[in-house]
Amino acid sequence: MKFNRLLSLIAILLSSSFVSNSYAHHSFAMFDKTQELFMSGTVTRWGFNAPHVFLFLETEDGTVWTFEGRAPQSLLMSQENPMTGYTLEPGQSVEVVICPLADGRPGGALGYIHANDIWYRPGHGGCPADSRWEDEWSAAGYASRAEAEAAM
Amino acid sequence: MKNMKKLLSVATLSLTFSANELTAQYAGIAGYVAPARPGIPAAIAPPQNFANSTEHYEYLRELHNGGVIHTHNSIPKWDGLWGRAGNSYNTGRESTIFRNEDGNIVEGMLTPEYEAAFRYRLRQSGLDSSDNGVTVDRLTHCEPAGHPRWSLEPYIREMVNEPHQSWFMNDLGNDTRRIYINQEHQNLEGNHFPQGDSVGFWTEDDQLIVHTVDVWPMDFFRGSPPTSNQFESVEIFWRGTLENGEDRLFLSSTFYDTHMLAKPVSLMYVFERREDLEEFGYRTRYFECSGNQNQYITFDENGNPTTQTRLPGEEGFNDPRGVDPLRTPDLPRDLPGQEKNPIFNDSLF
Repeated sequence: MKFNRLLSLIAILLSSSFVSNSYAHHSFAMFDKTQELFMSGTVTRWGFNAPHVFLFLETEDGTVWTFEGRAPQSLLMSQENPMTGYTLEPGQSVEVVICPLADGRPGGALGYIHANDIWYRPGHGGCPADSRWEDEWSAAGYASRAEAEAAM
Repeated sequence: MKNMKKLLSVATLSLTFSANELTAQYAGIAGYVAPARPGIPAAIAPPQNFANSTEHYEYLRELHNGGVIHTHNSIPKWDGLWGRAGNSYNTGRESTIFRNEDGNIVEGMLTPEYEAAFRYRLRQSGLDSSDNGVTVDRLTHCEPAGHPRWSLEPYIREMVNEPHQSWFMNDLGNDTRRIYINQEHQNLEGNHFPQGDSVGFWTEDDQLIVHTVDVWPMDFFRGSPPTSNQFESVEIFWRGTLENGEDRLFLSSTFYDTHMLAKPVSLMYVFERREDLEEFGYRTRYFECSGNQNQYITFDENGNPTTQTRLPGEEGFNDPRGVDPLRTPDLPRDLPGQEKNPIFNDSLF
């Protein structure tokens, strides 16, 4: 458990250092990075276009959410689990960890996409999602970071 | 003819005045030279304290007897894809040469006016009080990174050297630096430019020395102090290896800016070859931005600048994959085959 915490801390430090010079061309002020929400739904579009990729996800209640990730170039360049325009397809069921728009509209910044049995990290500084989502938090069924931390 | 003479004499006067101003600014002032860090050599210090970038460049050009004349076969080849592999602008996880880890501005680097402007930017962009990052970025409206930010952006670069020009391309924003080899500066437009005007020469040991002038006011990255329209540089590019033998492109840049910098600043940027991406099939494409852009700068309830995003269905939303009626308003709306990205059937509307 201690080792897992150490790994989480290293991941947080690495993602923090990434924030300084990350693959984006705008600020992340519109996202609420203090919230991390776990959601599932159906892909309506995996938009692998510059300047940022966008995942459009329809949830069970029929809402179509708009989630922003890094520049497509940087997802192709990822040394771990690179993503392409074919990684996700319309109709595919996926799980995501996102940081929502602060003003409550149905959108946000991508932290994780769990698809094809892989935890992809397409996020930029708008959502430095906790690495514990990859195992213990998703397995426990937590809906948010706040819920996961309250249970610890 | 008379008019041309008049024009030339005015231009000469204006150049002389400008040079005198610069001489007064930096004469005898030692610059900041970034020290070595693991994987990042120390920046190359100017061989003496120059008053301005032109003196610095001309000194080096004379030192190297005007530079080597290359042919297509003899020119150093830096083909392939290059990724960022470190720089000395960032001095720590959250610190830069201009701002300490504790958030304070580093003393003695900026002129009083630009230090005050940096403080203003930090306050306006929330960096002095928020851990949520900077609230605005000049690139939001799809400007190119430009000089000097081109050197810091974490995107792929391609470096093509030819005897009369070098083309250094950045995957971000179609941002290409053109270095005119063994030529003099030109500015037929009477403008400044995102990348300025760059000339250069090759040394006997395959270093490319580049002089850049006429640059827009830019930045080193979002949240950095602004550069001014007097920003100039002398840069030294070369291909080499680290102690462990790894292939690298090195860039040592000395920046002069009479408005911004209290003294010249020399920094090192390092790039690594990304053969893995070449094998993966990575291609540098046209960087779509303005037609796809859904972020915009606005003002919050306190009147401070901030950034917002448009969602599908909202006024002004740009759809990068469908048929944009404003792109081809001269065509029938239902003409088949006009979707820019037809591989997936994923129309939003």
